[in-house]
Amino acid sequence: MKFHSRCLVAALSAALLLSGCGEEKTSEGQKESVTFASQDAFPSTYSVTQSRPVVIRGATLLTGTDEKMDSADLLLTDGVITGIGEGLEAPGDALEIDGSGKWVTPGIIDVHSHLGDYPAPAIESSQDGNEMTSPNTAEVWAEHSVWTQDPQFALALAGGVTTLQILPGSANLFGGRGVTLKNVPARRVQDMKFPGAPYGLKMACGENPKRVYGSKGTAPSTRMGNVAGYRKAWIAAANYKKKWDDYGKNGGDKPERNLELETLAGVLDGEILVHNHCYRGEEMAIMMDIAREFDFQVSTFHHAVEAYKVADLLAENNVCAAVWADWWGFKHEAYDMTQANLAILDQAEACAMIHSDSAVGIQHLNEEVAKAMTAGRRAGFDIPPEHAVGWMTLNPAKALGVAEKTGSLEKGKMADVVVWSGNPFSVYSKAEKVFIDGELMYDRDDPTRQPRTDFELGILDAEGERL
Amino acid sequence: MNKMVRKIAMSCALLLGVAAPQLQAETLLITGGKVHTLGEAGSLETADILLRDGRVEAVGPSLDLSADRTIDASGKVVTPGVIAPVSELGLTEIGAASDTNDYAVTGESIGSAFDPMPAFNPKSTLIPFNRAGGVTRALVFPGISLWGEGVGDPQRVFAGRSFAIELNGEFDSVVATDLAQKAYLGEAGGQLAGGSRASAFAKVKSALREAAEYRDHRDAIRRGDWRTLNHSAADLEALQPVIDGEQPLLVTVNRASDILAVIDLAEQFELELIVQGAAEGWMVADQLAAAGVPVVIDAIDNLPISFSSLGARFDNAALLHEAGVTLAISAPGYAGTHNTYLSRQSAGNAVAYGLPYEAGLKAISTNVAGIFGIEGGVIEPGAVGDIAIWNGDPLEVTSFPEQLLIGGEPQSLVTRSTRLRDRYLKPEQGHEHWYRF
Repeated sequence: MKFHSRCLVAALSAALLLSGCGEEKTSEGQKESVTFASQDAFPSTYSVTQSRPVVIRGATLLTGTDEKMDSADLLLTDGVITGIGEGLEAPGDALEIDGSGKWVTPGIIDVHSHLGDYPAPAIESSQDGNEMTSPNTAEVWAEHSVWTQDPQFALALAGGVTTLQILPGSANLFGGRGVTLKNVPARRVQDMKFPGAPYGLKMACGENPKRVYGSKGTAPSTRMGNVAGYRKAWIAAANYKKKWDDYGKNGGDKPERNLELETLAGVLDGEILVHNHCYRGEEMAIMMDIAREFDFQVSTFHHAVEAYKVADLLAENNVCAAVWADWWGFKHEAYDMTQANLAILDQAEACAMIHSDSAVGIQHLNEEVAKAMTAGRRAGFDIPPEHAVGWMTLNPAKALGVAEKTGSLEKGKMADVVVWSGNPFSVYSKAEKVFIDGELMYDRDDPTRQPRTDFELGILDAEGERL
Repeated sequence: MNKMVRKIAMSCALLLGVAAPQLQAETLLITGGKVHTLGEAGSLETADILLRDGRVEAVGPSLDLSADRTIDASGKVVTPGVIAPVSELGLTEIGAASDTNDYAVTGESIGSAFDPMPAFNPKSTLIPFNRAGGVTRALVFPGISLWGEGVGDPQRVFAGRSFAIELNGEFDSVVATDLAQKAYLGEAGGQLAGGSRASAFAKVKSALREAAEYRDHRDAIRRGDWRTLNHSAADLEALQPVIDGEQPLLVTVNRASDILAVIDLAEQFELELIVQGAAEGWMVADQLAAAGVPVVIDAIDNLPISFSSLGARFDNAALLHEAGVTLAISAPGYAGTHNTYLSRQSAGNAVAYGLPYEAGLKAISTNVAGIFGIEGGVIEPGAVGDIAIWNGDPLEVTSFPEQLLIGGEPQSLVTRSTRLRDRYLKPEQGHEHWYRF
């Protein structure tokens, strides 16, 4: 089975208010509707080497849809989930996995990662995550920096991560495009690109942009300077979009392409999702007003240390928040942390999730959710594991616009599945088997199914692997 | 493990405690908990602990004693409080706000004389926060500045002097001083010393030689009747206990070959050595064990993040322990001092990857006290009453302390984090949240 890049039409979470992709009708050069997202520029070449069907028997399933099933079976066929329940019949050639004592969850999804862009080893010549040369670099794409041989991808896989968004850094008001990847070994980033996933646009509030540019004596040097920078850019983007829309309607001279404005116009068109680094409650409220002014939708506030203060506003505006369990204090805007942040957001019915922003943290997102769940319980909320699991599966899938395809154990969805040695919300549990589109990508019990990047060959010992 | 005479300052709290009337001959009984003594008595499924005047008097099953106060710990897990092996507690408030940081300095000197203790702030919000995570004591060390002006400028091969605190937030909470000197060798040292790790070694050796020269000719040097030395008298004074083997040298290195080079250096100068980092420690675990060198590791960091830590792996702790190395586990590097208590999560991961359970508990308490020569980390007669009572396994990510004693005194577990939580449990439009406190 091979997926081709194509527009994602109506397959996205309604909560994100996305319109479909632009149609590419080119008839005699008269009418041309432009796809600002340019999904065909670096098309996904993701493919799955189909293996045999898989049936996991008698496991505890956390479906990602608020359901816990004890002693249930899960059937994966042709890369998708085809059965869930008790006593499933499986094809004769199916790989049978004894799930007794095991727990099964959807593959973990990290909405905020820099793997490949900030690879290990972190040597200076490979620090490709932050184009710190202008406050607006909406024209750069994170995928063009991804070093697919980054050994951190394989480590994240062993932690159960099947899908991740690689984002540019937060130095700029507009950092550039993020890309959603499936966490598979690949020679080129196109081989990892999640088929049909919309692009993200990284934006940043607060301290980082004003520090980076203010210290160079250029704008922005204040938070109000930040906001002026966003609004100027959106005005330019709206004009750009209108030019192309007019051209699409009326023909005439074809406007010149502008990579920076194309990305922003893609947001205004609803094709590209805004992922906004933003810590303070006040700033989130301002950003939502900017979105209203220019008629676009913010998908997710990232880091969002103060999201709990405006949880009701986020819920009203259908904006998600991606947070840590307990990081704080490294900056003033990260000072007002509460460990109950995620739980308070959740209780206010905002779409909330865990995220890593860390190559260590991404390997332990189940533990991070466990800590956030515990903090919520201590705050008096009733949060069962079958609910908390959504914080690392279905909710990040929503934030990335891929919730119709992955993020839960439901028939017809991609067979992105983790078999855990026990309750995933224990520090002692490990991802034992990780399936991506039904293919066994990682098996803790079988060293021949533990991928090692090119970098790791012969690096500590010429005849061995890294470990 | 270390033969040196430790300079343990008498607990100020204890001295004051004797004078404070409310503590006179006070007894406290903790009953019915599952007690990990981390001492000779081992782990007891159900046991009572009697404290008198802030110290443990007895521990055992069914002590059948009465006391002034009783804490029912049935169904709970009881351990010594967590001790942080390397922190900047009280020296930092907000990482990127340089005004609030006092743990690092830049300059021309080699740095050994730098004593951060006068800057210690026991009212830092990091102290109640980490106390609520189960930390009762911490070593406080200077470090390299990560933010603000001077970042990337050549800093010092030595970071400076250290002290230990108890986390009760009192003005007299420094419990011991001059516990170790800190130095950077290996990759970090190479960058600090001008490009090569060899030059960092040379700088350290030169300083140690001069320190010995200073010791042997102090009077002549002070009279001015000696050659001009390359280092200041203050720096050389600070190194005296190090070259005398009274104060260990804590050295951060990660690469296996660097660790061996540091062991050689310690043998050559007869230093007491502690290795911090040791990402590739497992590759030279036998040599570390043979040299009696304890290590402080970031057990959750398995990233080959530099060419000096290509061998980083989750079971480093287990392999070091198996070889007989005394092991302390620090907070995850990414968590920093603000989340020092997450050494528990790191230790839990180390246990998940093969470290025996009690060794995991000791790595965040008992061994830290032993390595640096401070009190704490054990529940046995005579031990300081730093005790945590947990809702469950303290290495589990769903666990937290329900009660905490420092020097036998019950501690508040309220933090800014819980205050903010309680204010915004139900965020809504209006003004009322400012009136909620």
